[in-house]
Amino acid sequence: MDTIISPIALYLICVLGAIGLALALPRRNKVYEITGGLLLAGSIGLAILILGLNATETNQPLPNFFFYPFAILALGASARMITHPRPVYSALYFILTIIASCGMYLLLSAEFMAFALVIIYAGAILITYLFVIMLATQAPSSAAEEFIDETDAVAREPILAAGIGFVLLALLTTAMFRGIGDLPTPSDPETQMALAQDSVLLNLPRKVDRILDRAGILNQHERVVRNDDGTAALDIIARTITIENTDLGTTRTLGPNQWPDKLAADNLDRLGYNLMHDHPMTIEIAGIILLMAMLGAVVLARKHIELEDDLKAAQARKLGESMEAGKA
Amino acid sequence: MDHLLSINLAQMAFPEALPAITMAHYLFVSAAMFVMGLIGFLTRKNMIIMFLCTELMFQGAGLALIAFGRHHLAADGQTFVIFVLCVAAAEAAMALALVVLLFRHKETLSAQAWKELHG
Repeated sequence: MDTIISPIALYLICVLGAIGLALALPRRNKVYEITGGLLLAGSIGLAILILGLNATETNQPLPNFFFYPFAILALGASARMITHPRPVYSALYFILTIIASCGMYLLLSAEFMAFALVIIYAGAILITYLFVIMLATQAPSSAAEEFIDETDAVAREPILAAGIGFVLLALLTTAMFRGIGDLPTPSDPETQMALAQDSVLLNLPRKVDRILDRAGILNQHERVVRNDDGTAALDIIARTITIENTDLGTTRTLGPNQWPDKLAADNLDRLGYNLMHDHPMTIEIAGIILLMAMLGAVVLARKHIELEDDLKAAQARKLGESMEAGKA
Repeated sequence: MDHLLSINLAQMAFPEALPAITMAHYLFVSAAMFVMGLIGFLTRKNMIIMFLCTELMFQGAGLALIAFGRHHLAADGQTFVIFVLCVAAAEAAMALALVVLLFRHKETLSAQAWKELHG
């Protein structure tokens, strides 16, 4: 199995990237920052260029044009995030990374996750991070405007860390690019695609009813036939629908030319069905994890307040009075 | 040069399978994001930034999950990303509570302040 990028080019890219990132990481001496950034950008660009050239050589389609701005934005912003000496800017660059990867999610037809990511990650989690950064960081005094805390200004072991990281990247990409050709492709593409897109409709007979009703196909007392296992009597491949009249007990079959355009499962249908039908236990576990995290956060972050003995007594008296007042 | 000019810039739309080379593009980006998060975690001393870098690693993993889900024309990849998001949210809550706790003890965000934990 030949690889997608020749190993020598791949290792060269990784070495370049490692040198670039090691130079770009924050340190007191800012001379190398720009050189490092350029080297890193060059290695990323080179990798994407080689991948693209390979695609044209083997006559495979390149990714969508919008992949390129999103990928470059995501990688550039994440590089800037780990090299920026000011924590607030790091968090803002991370938001940029998230938005760029949301773009890639959209290209991969995961619309719901893309918007959920913007709302949850960029909207909730990152704002919490920003709050903590702003609460915990002392504002630099106006006398020293360029004052940045030693903690943020100097990276710890940049060369070693960049080396380790890019060795890992080389290993990961080598393994992935070698195995990627062996990924199974749909054996019978057209059938598989139709199944992948619409098979979830079989399990949503009420949705089918609703769509058919809106398309004006159903008369009164008519609905899609339910099979014994509760699935709708649709044939996804042959595009036929069986409809029964619950009043008269008669059935009729619609051919493929009567299949309404709106009768298709969207991303949200597939995702929701998959989540609720295939992973119900995981949802429970996720709920427990979130609950535990909430309790843990409350327990960890609470503040012990030492009260004097007479203050405690006064507090107890007050509580007792209010309880008696409540009884009366 | 001819085939360079007539390249197909359109990735396949949803019901069509994703070609291997397109997968390779996305996987490269996801691996690079993961590694940047790792390097950031190792090099930065600010505890908040360290936890932010773990979120970057989550992002890299999530992109790979979505790409594989798209390749197999299944929704499982997206479902897993929902759970990754869940764990990330739980982790953010715990991490920030921890950071606040540690900050109260030493009045600094530096992880170096807790060097004695090396043992």
